Amino acid sequence: MPFRIDALRFGSLKLRIAVLYAGLFALVLAATALIADQGLSRFGENSAARDMAANARVFDEILTLRASQMRGSTDVLARDFGFREAVATGDRATIDSALESLKSRSRTDAAFVVGLDGSLVAAGDARIGASKAMWSALDEGRQRGIIRIGGQLSLAAASPIMSPDLAGWLVLAQPLDRAELDRLVQLAAIELDARVELAGDLPEWMRAATDGEVFERTTDERFLYQVSTVPALQDGLEPRLVLRHSLSRSLAQYSTLQYLLAALAFGGIILVVGLSWRVARTVTGPLQKLDEATRLIAEGRDIDLATGSDDEIGRLATSFNVMVAAIEERERKILHVGLHDGLTGLPNRKLFLEQLNQALPRLKDGDRAMVVYVDLDDFKLVNDTLGHPAGDALLRDIAEYLSTALPDALIARLGGDEFAILMAIPPETASLAAVAERISDCFERTIMLDGHQAECTASLGIAMAPGDGKDASTLMKNADLALYRAKSEGKSTYHFFEPELDELARKRRQTELDMRTAIREGGFVLNFQPLYDMAEEELKGFEALIRWPHPERGLIGPVDFIPLAEETGLIIPIGDWVLREACRQAAQWPGDVSVAVNISPKQFAAPNLAQTILQALASSGLAPSRLELEITESIFIVDIERTLSTLHKLRSLGVRIALDDFGTGYSSLSYLRSFPFDKVKIDRSFVKDLGQGGNAHAVIRAITTLADALGMDTLAEGVELDEQFDILKREGCQYIQGFLFGKPMAGEDVFALFGHSAVRSYGHGG
Amino acid sequence: MTRLRSIFALIFLSTGLAITAQAAPGNSLRVQLVDERGVPVRDAVVELAPSRSPSGPIRFPWRMAMAQKDQQFVPGTLIIAKGSTVAFPNLDRVRHSVYSFSKPAQFTIDLYGRDQTRTHNFPIAGTVALGCNIHDAMRGYIRVTETPFAGKTDANGYVALDNIPAGTASLTVWHPRLRATGNEITNGVTIASGAQSRKLGVRLR
Repeated sequence: MPFRIDALRFGSLKLRIAVLYAGLFALVLAATALIADQGLSRFGENSAARDMAANARVFDEILTLRASQMRGSTDVLARDFGFREAVATGDRATIDSALESLKSRSRTDAAFVVGLDGSLVAAGDARIGASKAMWSALDEGRQRGIIRIGGQLSLAAASPIMSPDLAGWLVLAQPLDRAELDRLVQLAAIELDARVELAGDLPEWMRAATDGEVFERTTDERFLYQVSTVPALQDGLEPRLVLRHSLSRSLAQYSTLQYLLAALAFGGIILVVGLSWRVARTVTGPLQKLDEATRLIAEGRDIDLATGSDDEIGRLATSFNVMVAAIEERERKILHVGLHDGLTGLPNRKLFLEQLNQALPRLKDGDRAMVVYVDLDDFKLVNDTLGHPAGDALLRDIAEYLSTALPDALIARLGGDEFAILMAIPPETASLAAVAERISDCFERTIMLDGHQAECTASLGIAMAPGDGKDASTLMKNADLALYRAKSEGKSTYHFFEPELDELARKRRQTELDMRTAIREGGFVLNFQPLYDMAEEELKGFEALIRWPHPERGLIGPVDFIPLAEETGLIIPIGDWVLREACRQAAQWPGDVSVAVNISPKQFAAPNLAQTILQALASSGLAPSRLELEITESIFIVDIERTLSTLHKLRSLGVRIALDDFGTGYSSLSYLRSFPFDKVKIDRSFVKDLGQGGNAHAVIRAITTLADALGMDTLAEGVELDEQFDILKREGCQYIQGFLFGKPMAGEDVFALFGHSAVRSYGHGG
Repeated sequence: MTRLRSIFALIFLSTGLAITAQAAPGNSLRVQLVDERGVPVRDAVVELAPSRSPSGPIRFPWRMAMAQKDQQFVPGTLIIAKGSTVAFPNLDRVRHSVYSFSKPAQFTIDLYGRDQTRTHNFPIAGTVALGCNIHDAMRGYIRVTETPFAGKTDANGYVALDNIPAGTASLTVWHPRLRATGNEITNGVTIASGAQSRKLGVRLR
């Protein structure tokens, strides 16, 4: 806004533009009209003044002409011989008759003869009494001028009478009365009012006027005046010619023009106001439409602006449409992204639940729906071994395959390696198991990933609507429970939801709660299983084993709660407790009897493991060399670099590290090379087969030979029989652990054992 | 024209010399006439009228004639004694008339042709203005005097009056353009013996 008037707030742009432009134009127009009007007045005045001056000159000429004409008459008579004789001889009768004749001939009022001495020689009229006063003027040779006859100013012309010397003057006079002046004035081109007055009779302002100059004076009307001196033919006479011209009347002829101008200006302003309004509407009309369109779009309606023209407004409308389309497209994309999985393009959990919720009420009587919760088996392994891109490719491949293999099903990816499938089951379907098989088969495929072959299987949990739940969340929860069951039953299988699964889940939750209580209130206890050195034939240490004496359910073995602890992450506080408790008790054992503590992979991955160990050692006063950490190979699966770094850090604390359960899982000899373990614990499965023929002892020998070569000790777990003991001893195994030597015992029993201080006598076969 | 006038003057001078010589010898008056600007006034008539006027006829040493030549009266101003008869010879190729409305002599001589002469007698003293009815510009003056002591000023405004009687006298100066009633001024003067001179200032129209 170029300017802002606070008192005048215009609600609309249209009004603002219109008022601004109309105001501006009106101002210019008014100024123009005003200037033109002024100019017209000035022009009128100037031309009137010019006319006046010109006509004043003309009137002077007229007067002069009249005087000359009179002079002509006097000349004729003054030269007449007879008249001259009459004057010279004083023949009054003759003179008088001649004067009469002259008067009538020249249409004048007075004719008389002035003698050389100024005496009135002859007068046709008795009024003349000023001949003496005329003498000096006549004597100077003036030929015309104003005289006063009988109180009236008259125009006079005089001719000398020569006989042959100057004998006197013949004077002819015409009173300049109104009638005479009016008659003369008619000869002028403009309307003039003329009068001849004595200077003394004039008002002051006229006397003050410059001789012969036109000036203006306003009384009730505007008048132009010119006061000029006219010559007198009589002493003491100061005649003035006063010419007056009505300026008002002269200007009146321009007034029509001025009215026309005013009308023109007024019309122009009306036109400008109209046009401004129109222009403003042209500008703001589309804006209003845009405003309306924007509002409608905000309300969520579909709008397409008519573009109409090719100008800026048209382009604006086009841009607007493009923008609206772009916004809609983006909205659709956002909606799609929000409801779909970016990797596979399948609906996500949210959309699946929505659609499930929509589908459920539409189920007709007898119709059923199958909700399948799918989890790929060992997908984590694919990711870890082949990399995330391979995992992604696998997921995409499965999604693609599912879409083609199950065209009637609603397939969604719930996240990670989890899928959900919704299928309508018609009433005539005989076997739900067949349907489940078909779905399961979809996942059991071999997929080529970057030249690697990947075997893919999946576990399925199935819930049936409406039997297993009326709403989506219940159905999903139940399918999930079934899946859990399927997973725990071994992979690559399916399981239908059963109500008891719900009960199991409830139990699991209870167990978790109880575990938390046990952690808080010290509900766990440690048992210790002896480790026997075969070469030295003595007890070398104990493996700490956790037991949970549950207040209601009785003693619970680690198998029954450790997986749940792993699952829920409670394994970390539990593991910490085990570490501290084991150290505390071991510190009270005599000599160099060591304690072995199992470290779960989750615990191993925790960042503060080393610190926990240090604290346990410090608070117990146990020598680090007496603490042995048992880890499993599975820690190598995740991140070898990090695992090695952690191992070295632990080793630097001075503790011993044993590789537990060697020979199971993805055992790789490269692990043994990558880190110098202190001990390798041979899995009980190898020990179990010893003494029953076969080649079990060959495996044992291979391991012991390898460990020996690498400078590691070997320990065999689960030794229960003497044959096993013998073979192990023969094959070079250093340590054994098992029922043959000693069952796990309570901490106080360990003390009691040392109390007898018969460690050495507590030997094989004892 | 001046030469011509002097020829006439010579002729008339030789005839009238004896008359003037017999008057009272010795006293003379030399008058110079100038206007207000000091310019000498020529062709003015200066007359001295002694209180005791000498008797006997007055004779002037110039011819009593007013010729018309080149549409002019020649001489323009003629001094004659009262009772003289003046001749008006027409020396022009054109015809002239002579008229006078002056009080001393009012007369009209009708047109007359070349080489013709008319005469007129002037019995009354005064100034007679002459005109020609058909030539307005022609102007001639005849000064009819009663005193023998009269003369016209020359180009330098001088006039000399000789053999004048001593004693009181009135000195009259006339000129056609003199600003005074009757175009003349009269002053009383006392004439001493011997030569004397006087300078008079006059105003002209």
